[in-house]
Amino acid sequence: MRVTIVMAALAVLATAAFAQDSPSADNGKVVFDKWCTPCHGAVAPPEMPFGGDGLPGTSALGVKYRGELPAVLEERTDLAPEFIETVVRGGLFGMPITRKTEVSESELEDVIAYLTRNNN
Amino acid sequence: MALPPNVSEEVFASALSEFAQAVGDEWVFSSDEDVALYRDSYSIYWDEPEERVASAAVAPANVEEVQQIVRVANRYGIPIYPISTGRNLTYGGAAPTLSGSVVVDLKRMNRVLEVDEDRHFALVEPGVSYFDLYNYIQERGLNVMLDVPDPGWGSPIGNSLDHGVGYTMSPYRDHFGSHCGMEFVTAEGEVVRTGNGAMPGSESWQDYRYGVGPMIDGLLAQSNFGIVTKMGFWLMPMPETFLTGTVTVPRYGDFDALVKEVSYLEDSFLTGMPSFGSPAARGGIGRQAPTQLAELMQDGWPSVERLEDFVSAQGRPAWSVELRFYGPEEVVRASWEAAKRRFGDRVAGASFEDGDFWRLPLPADELATNPRKAVLGVPALEIFATMARNPQTNEAPLEGHADLFAFLPRKAEAVHDAARMMSETYSEFGTPPAHHPFSTPINFYSRAFIVAAIVPTWRDAAKNAQSRALYSRLIDRCAENGWIVYRTNPAFQDQLVSKLSFNNNALLRFEEKLKDGIDPKGIISPGRYGIWPASMRSGRA
Repeated sequence: MRVTIVMAALAVLATAAFAQDSPSADNGKVVFDKWCTPCHGAVAPPEMPFGGDGLPGTSALGVKYRGELPAVLEERTDLAPEFIETVVRGGLFGMPITRKTEVSESELEDVIAYLTRNNN
Repeated sequence: MALPPNVSEEVFASALSEFAQAVGDEWVFSSDEDVALYRDSYSIYWDEPEERVASAAVAPANVEEVQQIVRVANRYGIPIYPISTGRNLTYGGAAPTLSGSVVVDLKRMNRVLEVDEDRHFALVEPGVSYFDLYNYIQERGLNVMLDVPDPGWGSPIGNSLDHGVGYTMSPYRDHFGSHCGMEFVTAEGEVVRTGNGAMPGSESWQDYRYGVGPMIDGLLAQSNFGIVTKMGFWLMPMPETFLTGTVTVPRYGDFDALVKEVSYLEDSFLTGMPSFGSPAARGGIGRQAPTQLAELMQDGWPSVERLEDFVSAQGRPAWSVELRFYGPEEVVRASWEAAKRRFGDRVAGASFEDGDFWRLPLPADELATNPRKAVLGVPALEIFATMARNPQTNEAPLEGHADLFAFLPRKAEAVHDAARMMSETYSEFGTPPAHHPFSTPINFYSRAFIVAAIVPTWRDAAKNAQSRALYSRLIDRCAENGWIVYRTNPAFQDQLVSKLSFNNNALLRFEEKLKDGIDPKGIISPGRYGIWPASMRSGRA
């Protein structure tokens, strides 16, 4: 009986530790929706006067990949975690650096988990 | 690791340790990797010795922690540089004016303290972005409309403190002008409240901004006299409807009459932000393929006669203006009818086209696909599609930009003169000009016209040197014409401020006296908008 209780306690502890340490794709979507969708979302206004749709990231990737890869980041299955981190922290073209007071390290891990959830 | 000027490693380590005691180890950033996150992504000096870089960053969670940081900085003589959300891109981003400063990152102070939908105001902390405030209002169904800059990723406090502007009705487009009450921390660590906030127990801090005595709020904008920790903002009650209508006038010379009538309507609060255009010059000459307009300019700036001939040949009106009305349906429709009558009485050949009519607020699903979010007070980042890779330009995107907005009197002649100056200056530097005789002003600030130059920045030193030379010459040329550049990157703030030289720079000398009295060690944002502490003033222009 005593052994069972100890084992159960250990199992709970292990689950808690796993929940704390393991990135959450669900929370990654929340963070992505807040920080990324205004440029990289899927729902865009119709064509703007300058030619693209209203979402700069999605529009730019559409032009860059010309259908060979999805323009919407959430549909990608090939994004490397290191690449996501490099772009978020270093910026790319007009996309600026994102600080840790904006997207924390654990939140970035969650975003990476979300964007790589369907990776091949 | 970069160090603050004239501060030893040992002293800096002691200061960092005390910063950590104030805010917690987790919120002091001093590794090279973390400090790099405070670089200006659009720096016009990227990777050059003159790039403005921080030595560290510290992120307080509340006013008390800000006070402690200031006191530590004062004790050790550490320059500090507050940022609210750090998104003041093109105007310096999160990077300090003085290299080696410690950035005080206020992003964690992100509480919306109050939104009153009956008295129409908000009270916020510096880390609250326009997105945050918008979401707060939506989640509670509050009956107010924001006025947002585009892009909307910045903060009401940071944007207003750099004199940012928006898109709706004139009293709200001037974001600093629509603030009411602020709280700031002095260089000595004292907390000051302005206006009625100075009276304990007052319930009208966000209703009456003058309090009694001098209104000192202006000293906190584009300056370095304190760290703003709270600000109130007046908001527009959510209008029942939004209606647009476009006026066109046929001749090049009609612009003068168009401008005068638009100013009448704006100053009478009968229209929101007007949007000028030129149907005859549709397509412009910017980065697109050469057009007939470019050909027209091949031999220099055309005469008015040639411009009138050009307009006739295009078969389109020379000028247009879209008017935007906010309010009850009966009122907006009547305002549009009155505008049509007045234009018709004053400009021969004026014609009119009805535009959008929406009942507000629009449902969220309709807003998501609405390309006109900014005029509806909805924060977005869609404007960045103009500089990103897009189907029309299909070329390598910009890596950044340094914006230069020249503020002009609302006169047709001034607009044409500014466009010509910018076009000729671009040409002088071998840069294809984006300005032309049909360039139109922007009315972000209702009492002045803006003619804008968007100078590209790169992560390439040679290209940035060209951009700097162009930008600097544009500042000179604007000043020669008496046009204020209302806001600029730290790289150009000394040059810009030197142009306000009336009576032997009396204004700057007054500000310096204030600085010496209020912040004698010069720890807060040294050099911001040309205000240097006495110890760093020598030798500067």
